[in-house]
Amino acid sequence: MPLLKIDDKEIQVQSGATVLETAEANGIEIPHYCYHPALEVVGSCRMCLVQVEGMPKLQVSCNTFVGDVHPDRKVDGKYDMVVHTQNDLVVQERKNILEFLLLNHPLDCPVCDQAGECYLQDYSFKFGNAHSRFEENKRVRSNEYLGSQIVINHNRCILCSRCVRFTQEISGTSELFVEARGYNTKVAALEEKPLDNLLAGNVADICPVGALLSTDYIHKNRIWNLKKQSSVCQDCSVGCNVDVFSQTNQIFRLTPRENHDVNGYFMCDIGRYGFHRFEEIERVTQPMIREGDSFVSFEWEEAIQETVDRLKRAGGKVAGVTSPYHTNETNFMLGLMVDGILGNLSQIDGEEINYPSGFRISSDRSPNRNGMNDVCPGNVDDLISDIDEQNIRTIYILDDGVDRDFDEVWKSILSKMDFVVVQTYRMTMLAQSANIILPGLAPFEREGTITNDGGRVQWLRPSLPIKGESRADWEILMMALKALDNNAQIFTDVSQVMKKMGEKIPAYKDVSFFNLGDKGLSLNGIASK
Amino acid sequence: MNTFKPVLTEHIGQPDCHTLSFYKSVGGYTALEKILKMKPEDVTQEVKDSNLRGRGGAGFSTGVKWGFIPKDSNKPKYLINNADESEPGTFKDRLLMNKAPHQMLEGMIIAAYAIGCHTSFIYIRGEFYKEYKILEKTIAEAYENNILGQNILGSNYNLDIVIHRGAGAYICGEETGLIESLEGKRGWPRIKPPFPAIEGYLQSPTIVNNVETLSCIPHIINRGSSWFKSIGPEKGPGPRLFCISGCINKPGVYEEPMGISLKELIYEKAGGIPDDKQLKAVFPGGSSSAILTAEEALDVKMDFEDLVEKKSMLGSAGVIVMDETVDMVQACLNIARFYAHESCGQCTPCREGTVWLVKMLTRLVNGGGKPNDIDMLFEITDNIGGLIDFSKGSYGKTICPFGEAVAWPVRSLVEKFKAEFLEYLPEEKAVA
Repeated sequence: MPLLKIDDKEIQVQSGATVLETAEANGIEIPHYCYHPALEVVGSCRMCLVQVEGMPKLQVSCNTFVGDVHPDRKVDGKYDMVVHTQNDLVVQERKNILEFLLLNHPLDCPVCDQAGECYLQDYSFKFGNAHSRFEENKRVRSNEYLGSQIVINHNRCILCSRCVRFTQEISGTSELFVEARGYNTKVAALEEKPLDNLLAGNVADICPVGALLSTDYIHKNRIWNLKKQSSVCQDCSVGCNVDVFSQTNQIFRLTPRENHDVNGYFMCDIGRYGFHRFEEIERVTQPMIREGDSFVSFEWEEAIQETVDRLKRAGGKVAGVTSPYHTNETNFMLGLMVDGILGNLSQIDGEEINYPSGFRISSDRSPNRNGMNDVCPGNVDDLISDIDEQNIRTIYILDDGVDRDFDEVWKSILSKMDFVVVQTYRMTMLAQSANIILPGLAPFEREGTITNDGGRVQWLRPSLPIKGESRADWEILMMALKALDNNAQIFTDVSQVMKKMGEKIPAYKDVSFFNLGDKGLSLNGIASK
Repeated sequence: MNTFKPVLTEHIGQPDCHTLSFYKSVGGYTALEKILKMKPEDVTQEVKDSNLRGRGGAGFSTGVKWGFIPKDSNKPKYLINNADESEPGTFKDRLLMNKAPHQMLEGMIIAAYAIGCHTSFIYIRGEFYKEYKILEKTIAEAYENNILGQNILGSNYNLDIVIHRGAGAYICGEETGLIESLEGKRGWPRIKPPFPAIEGYLQSPTIVNNVETLSCIPHIINRGSSWFKSIGPEKGPGPRLFCISGCINKPGVYEEPMGISLKELIYEKAGGIPDDKQLKAVFPGGSSSAILTAEEALDVKMDFEDLVEKKSMLGSAGVIVMDETVDMVQACLNIARFYAHESCGQCTPCREGTVWLVKMLTRLVNGGGKPNDIDMLFEITDNIGGLIDFSKGSYGKTICPFGEAVAWPVRSLVEKFKAEFLEYLPEEKAVA
């Protein structure tokens, strides 16, 4: 393995590694714009220039490879390469490049959404000049829509071409290109094909400056006001890792979080903008019991007691309906409480979308079908005859929260039931047909684990506070279970449920928040990176 | 040097000199016949031995370049003839394509054979429409006479040549920009490594040679590498086409041996300066070379080494002569404008810096100059093209040499004619 010396550090590197990657991995900051680990190297921003001993010119560290050199040519008899990232020449060169980049930049940080997470701002602060020597007029262009949800502010663009390469290499859709030449160069979208693919939102994330903006977030907030919570996207079974940015009880944006075992660096716009679905729904935040055609609110104790009394009174078996939208822990608790699982209401009815880079949007738009089936199996082929044969008269449903019409099967099932409990967070059609509604949590309020379609268990973390009288779904089930059976175990938090689940379901024996961390845990025995 | 007889342009000017029958009548394609019986590596060695250096501008050894083609690669190899002649003050390739297209074609076939190429391209400057039509005919003639196509001249060697017309970008004359353009992409130079000889056109080993370079090849094969090396200085020998333009009595292309003195070239070959005006400055190798003052110009030999010693370069051998009446500030602005217009826009220093130069020079010319501007011109050019230290090579800061190509002429103009720039400053004028 070649021996690289960067500044004062000696580092053994894999042959063929670049200086930039090696430096980053070893905590040495080399500023860069055009380089992005998911994209082809173009070396055009010139920000990552470093000095390599023995080379007359400064070298772009993104395209300088470390390899074994002949023993006779080793520097100081032992180094295969010696790199300086902090000497006068490099420090001055960074100032020069930043000066060029800022010549035509409007310096409008106070009104720029990128401020606070802008590499032009950060690098100027760390490496740049305090004053501009440019006395000419700046180039001024108006903003343009590149697609329905992406706007470009040309004045802020530094032409790193990350966005263009993204559409060529990652989405494979090639809507963006570089137009004109030299001073007039700008990023543009094809007239006939605007940037409207389902990965479009990523270009705003990978833009290192405030040039590409998602219309969904423009001038909505400032980044330093927002709380960032790492979590998992719940809009399909891929389970992209995300960061959820919120302030008090409102989500402002989602951005992808790097995980090479799941989503790489990106996420799709279905998941990115999906949080808006929950903003204007009619929430259920109070336990309710049907009286005639309407519902009456109750306190929890009464509602749980009423539920249990009615379940006991109805006799026969209690059937459960699981949900692939709920966490493993919630589905697991349902399994403990009911006599048998009927199955679930959700259909796989999305379109599977594959991108040339390997990025995928699953046809299963529920996040946890794998986990649900692992921790609470029990699908039956023919629900109606099963209900008839087993003489099932009561049913406890974990509501998906998806407002869908009942098909004939479900209409028939519900018509046969004496008693229907629906645990939900919104007034779906299903909830409206319930005898008792128990208010659970909405997706961004939940905590627990979900298992993606690749068999990776991931940590779903809450980013919004619990609303009204709602309670965690596993907790509601635990209360009901306790009321049914006084010997039932009490769990004080979701990690205890997780532990219990691990005892019952061997595949999940290693699942704990500690083991999951930020990158999750593969059930296939592949250690997470 | 009186004994020098033109090599590349020997027959130019004779009737129908561009036709196959004429070329054959003066010994054309005998070199091809000869090499088809040779091993490709021996052809490369002969060219390497000749010390032929590229005529496009960079002056890299042609034989060494061919030798970079990996022997063990099973990818197709490509030869690209760079006929995108765009350097200001350069018009030699155009003449060769116009009047001696078969000489160039023979050179191409030999080069293609040497590197194991079976599909070759001529990337011709879009504006060269007449030359394009001539080349079309040249290639058709070659196919008809089994000089191109399958089993060339009865050998087992096959070669097809495709002409591709550029769309008018200076940067597409840079070899990796050219390759991108040929692939149908935007003509943005590629970062190296990989070098084209390893991964060029369609990620395959590719050699890009200039028209004049290729035109030298048949003569090296016919007359031998030692003959070629005997013309001019040994490190960069051979005949050279000098394009003389500007303030000159007889502008045109002159074929002379490498190392001819610039004084002889201007005053004896090209008839001197009109109205016996004084020589002021010369660009010796196209507008990308550093300018020479009259004093420097009259003391320089036109070869790679001597010009580097004078902190300029032979480049494309486009000699632009300026007499005493030329306003060097205006000339500088003109050159800066050209490069700002042609900058591809990829690298930060070149994209932003070239226009900064233009804006500053325009302000200076319009009477808005400030004392600090002169120093800023130095700094900006240094930041675009890097400080020039000829003992160590250049400190270029961009992907391709375009940055240097704008920095050198502008910086040298300001440096050598600083007084004229100072005269444009309002304060200086008031003092005068």
